Amino acid sequence: MCKQTLLHDKQVELGAKMVPFAGWEMPVSYSNIIEEHHCVRNDVGLFDVSHMGEVFISGKDALAFLQKLVPQSIDKLTPLKAVYCQLTNDNGGIIDDLIIYKLEDNKYFLIVNASRIDEDINWMIRNQIGYDVVIDNQSHNYSLLAVQGPKASALMEKMGVKKDDQPPFFNIKSANINGVDIWLSRTGYTGEDGFEILIPNKYAQNIWDYVIEKGQEFGLKPIGLGARDTLRLEAALHLYGNDLDTTTSPIEAGLAWSVSKNKLEDYNGKDVILSQLANGVSRKLVGFKMLSKIPARHDYEVYYNDEIVGKVTSGVPSPTLGENIGLAYVKTSSNINIGSIIQVMIRNKLYDAKVVARPFVAKKNKV
Amino acid sequence: MTAPEGILCSKSHEYVLEDGSLYTIGLTDYAVEQLGDIVFVELPEVGATFGKGEVFSTVESVKAASEVYAPIGGTVVEINEKLVEAPETLNNEPYGEGWLIKVESDTASLDSGDLLEYNDYKEELV
Repeated sequence: MCKQTLLHDKQVELGAKMVPFAGWEMPVSYSNIIEEHHCVRNDVGLFDVSHMGEVFISGKDALAFLQKLVPQSIDKLTPLKAVYCQLTNDNGGIIDDLIIYKLEDNKYFLIVNASRIDEDINWMIRNQIGYDVVIDNQSHNYSLLAVQGPKASALMEKMGVKKDDQPPFFNIKSANINGVDIWLSRTGYTGEDGFEILIPNKYAQNIWDYVIEKGQEFGLKPIGLGARDTLRLEAALHLYGNDLDTTTSPIEAGLAWSVSKNKLEDYNGKDVILSQLANGVSRKLVGFKMLSKIPARHDYEVYYNDEIVGKVTSGVPSPTLGENIGLAYVKTSSNINIGSIIQVMIRNKLYDAKVVARPFVAKKNKV
Repeated sequence: MTAPEGILCSKSHEYVLEDGSLYTIGLTDYAVEQLGDIVFVELPEVGATFGKGEVFSTVESVKAASEVYAPIGGTVVEINEKLVEAPETLNNEPYGEGWLIKVESDTASLDSGDLLEYNDYKEELV
């Protein structure tokens, strides 16, 4: 039995097709995935991402505790700033990817993947010994809406949050929308400018309706998980469970940019990650475009010089490019680089694909 | 969407329509609605034969690849080439220009025993 967000009935009224996702019944699309995709790239879209997890970490050892959990330097965060992180295990594998916000000294806020909430909390509790912290899973008390697209900032202004009061990229601010105190974060999963609105559950429907009402003049549409996937993959943003899991390290996943190379504090998996940074990795994530009209999908095998070299982790038709794009892990020893022609096995036939730079579509979210 | 007179539908959402000595096979309006935007259709070659229930085509939507099962057995005599260039035709006109294949079949009457008339098929969906 799937859980439902508080917006379930409103979504069904709007014509949403509901599907199971990470234990939740979520809208996959309202009208048409391609139209919804273009709506976010050109105007602005509204996503219900209330299935995602919210965890507060507080206490006098909150900073030291988070430093132990992720390869990023959390001590560099100043209040109301955020950083993209990975929760790593002892082998450097990724238990989850998440955003850590510093709210104030000794108080942090984490947004984690819906499918990983229980694993994350268990892992944190196992790591808690010796740290004076409170791990407060508030996932069941908060709803999360994402407002994404080039007109998101103008819409936010229309909803009463002036440009000067809007947080910059990867920052969070408290704000008031339609009489409700919320947290407003300048983050998202589309590659566009946009916001995520963290709302106490009892106001979720109020804010949803208000965004839809005020969004009309900007061409706002509700957007389902189908377009969320095509949008994030065009921006080459990883999907946990597809592109990341407990066997992939941040370095293999192409996330070395996010890892603090000179972090002094010990963290889980540090020796493996430092060794991979110094000596290289045996497989790496690459982006590719199919040279035929057939989309590659998750788990399809990748070949190079007649040898299996890896697997596709994500693949979709890109509505922006009109081409089929994807991500795959390949053996580093096969010397596959940007420009290499690889093959993807689709229904027992090999089809050419070209390795290309990521992201597939330029991001426009740095404001 | 109005379905043509005389079509028979499978529970896996394919239809078959007798067309002279041939049988036209395609996907029901319900199927294409559920699939969403169709971006690629892989069709068998002319001359290929298959039995009832075998996979003869794959339809790719933005979301996923979906297999298409033969509602009756037969030999392919014509494929809808138009779908190669314009796969969205399948979304727009599943019973008209968006047909998939035409087959010859000696077993059609036997194979169609468990297929449903359109109205009964629609009722099954409720």
